[in-house]
Amino acid sequence: MQRVSVGERLSPEEIAGLAEAPDILPLGMLADVLRRRLHDKAVTYLRVARCAFDQIMAEAVSPAAREVRLTGAPDTLPIAVSAVSRARGIAGDRAVSGFSWGDVERLARAGAGSVSEVLGELRTAGLDAVAELPMDRIDSLDEAVDLLTAAGFSRLRLTVDSAAAAERPALFLRAAVLQERGGAIQAINPLPMVLNAMRPTTGYSDVKMVAIARLAAPNVAMIQVDWLRYGPKLAQVALTFGADDLDNCSPSDDAPDGKRRAPLEEIRRNVDAAGFTPVERDGRFAVVG
Amino acid sequence: MVEQIADKVLAGGRVDAAEAVELYRHAPTNLLGRLADVIRGRKHPGRIVTYIIDRNVNYTNVCVARCNFCAFYRPVGSAEGYVLGFDEIFAKIDETISVGGNQLLLQGGHNPDLPIAWYEDLFRAVKARYPSFKLHALSPPEVLHIAKLNQLTVPVVIERLVAAGLDSIPGGGAEILVDRVRKLLNCFGKASSDDWLDVMRQAHRAGLRTTATMMYGTVETPEERIEHMMRLRDVQDETGGFTAFITWSYQPEHTERGGREATGIDYLRTLALARVVLDNVDNMQASWVTQGGKVGQLSLAFGANDMGSVMIEENVVRAAGASYCMDEVEIVVNIEDAGFTPKRRNMHYELLGDPVFREREVPRMLSLATAREDGDDSIPGDLKNYPARSREAKRLRLAQ
Ligand code: SF4
Repeated sequence: MQRVSVGERLSPEEIAGLAEAPDILPLGMLADVLRRRLHDKAVTYLRVARCAFDQIMAEAVSPAAREVRLTGAPDTLPIAVSAVSRARGIAGDRAVSGFSWGDVERLARAGAGSVSEVLGELRTAGLDAVAELPMDRIDSLDEAVDLLTAAGFSRLRLTVDSAAAAERPALFLRAAVLQERGGAIQAINPLPMVLNAMRPTTGYSDVKMVAIARLAAPNVAMIQVDWLRYGPKLAQVALTFGADDLDNCSPSDDAPDGKRRAPLEEIRRNVDAAGFTPVERDGRFAVVG
Repeated sequence: MVEQIADKVLAGGRVDAAEAVELYRHAPTNLLGRLADVIRGRKHPGRIVTYIIDRNVNYTNVCVARCNFCAFYRPVGSAEGYVLGFDEIFAKIDETISVGGNQLLLQGGHNPDLPIAWYEDLFRAVKARYPSFKLHALSPPEVLHIAKLNQLTVPVVIERLVAAGLDSIPGGGAEILVDRVRKLLNCFGKASSDDWLDVMRQAHRAGLRTTATMMYGTVETPEERIEHMMRLRDVQDETGGFTAFITWSYQPEHTERGGREATGIDYLRTLALARVVLDNVDNMQASWVTQGGKVGQLSLAFGANDMGSVMIEENVVRAAGASYCMDEVEIVVNIEDAGFTPKRRNMHYELLGDPVFREREVPRMLSLATAREDGDDSIPGDLKNYPARSREAKRLRLAQ
């Protein structure tokens, strides 16, 4: 506790030990100490307009969104570039993110170009961030981070695609080592992006992974939970286990589950009830207002 | 202050109302969980977490009480009102037995057209067909309703129902046992706080075990939630008849009252506090039906030692918007994932054994059944044997 509260890094063995222990509350308390040292009572949230690259974007982008996030997998680089340009036009000064590392590699192969050329063109067209950098799907994370920063992507968020819980602590530790070199990693989103309906992750495993990510990478500012994917109940509890950022909040009043409830009020109410202070941020990790 | 109270709890001391309020308002969530977890560990060494295979059957949705937080009831004469026939109930029992269950949790609305004889005949018929099957039935407000309707006293109603086959009483309808709150929820008429507690006292005196519940998240203050717990604790000191405590959040959808559901953290804090306050109640159930599988599982770190029913059927909470479902396989996966050993139990919390699906093939239940198929508005034939009281029901029974 003492060492964590002064920001000291725990060893890989200590992290592994914590990940194996069945008691989650001591782990949560430890992560919470570090979380409070880094962010005090603040919990940031980001309202994201998700829109498919081939969709009519003006309709999909709510004025309340602070980031436009392109989804889907375009076949070729020109299609991707044109989608980014259109999104840029609608986003105004808001950030545009989109695609995943796998898409970038695929576009490079399809156009017989290099990954850095693809990254360069997307960046020039106005892309601010590659939305998903799944640590469990990238062969050389070091190289990917170097290429991204060289192309001008200076705020990275690392994600997990579908790695099993047992494999993830090692990924978080690697992220921390990587961060020492460049410092471009703004956030880790430790819970899988790909949800398996037949074998969903459990509540224990989710909060444990959040806490382990927080403790394994104390030099990365943010630990995120995806509000839409994981839902208010789990996301809220995760805030007491080391998370400090709610990503992918819905900007409109029509939640995709068909229930009409004002998302903004719902987010703020959940953050308050967890004993934290809600703070809106934009897609470039800056506090709004 | 919080630290002193925490030390007291850890040393095995009992908290008073003021201390409980202090903990609820000011203790960090993880600390509150820690205290609850220590108590759980003391009461249930060996990291065993139990569950029961039973079926939650709602025999009627016709209700004259009209609680404003309830999305389930239909007024007398409504086209959507139903009463289940004995045969429908037998079919549900057959299904329950096929997945390894041995009990019905039988509750329903306050239907003015079901005299006590209907319940007695039903219970007798169930026991005749399924002698070892258990009936965990009729929450205190229903017992009171039957007493009033038939101009009998509560002890007589309990005695007659027990003679017919009643095994235990579920703790439903408690909501918040503070009359100010009950009046605002329009449930004071069905049972005042004293009424509710008194039915339980009578039941305990008659040798029945019962559970106790709390529905929070409407208009009550934290102090009133704690008052509710204190009143239960007092009765428990007196009788020792409560086997378990179950709390859940008010489910606002489709109710007259409306509003929002309390958050997941409110649930975990309330559960943990209950574990600390109700030091004389052995078991705490997790309400995954209202909280979902994930927070339901996390309840096990916040004082719960029981996952409740493997739910085969649910109507009340579902009417209000929540429809989480877990069959035995999923319950067991969640218990083991949290580092506990799953054991089946009965209503008395006696261990019955390991998961049924590990012993023999049982059908998976991936969605919840309902009391009735949508659009089924049949009227069971057995109803015509019982006199109706309401004008609407009299007309229907004449037509039968
Ligand atoms: S909660 Fe029970 S008593 Fe109240 S209206 Fe609903 S069914 Fe009737």
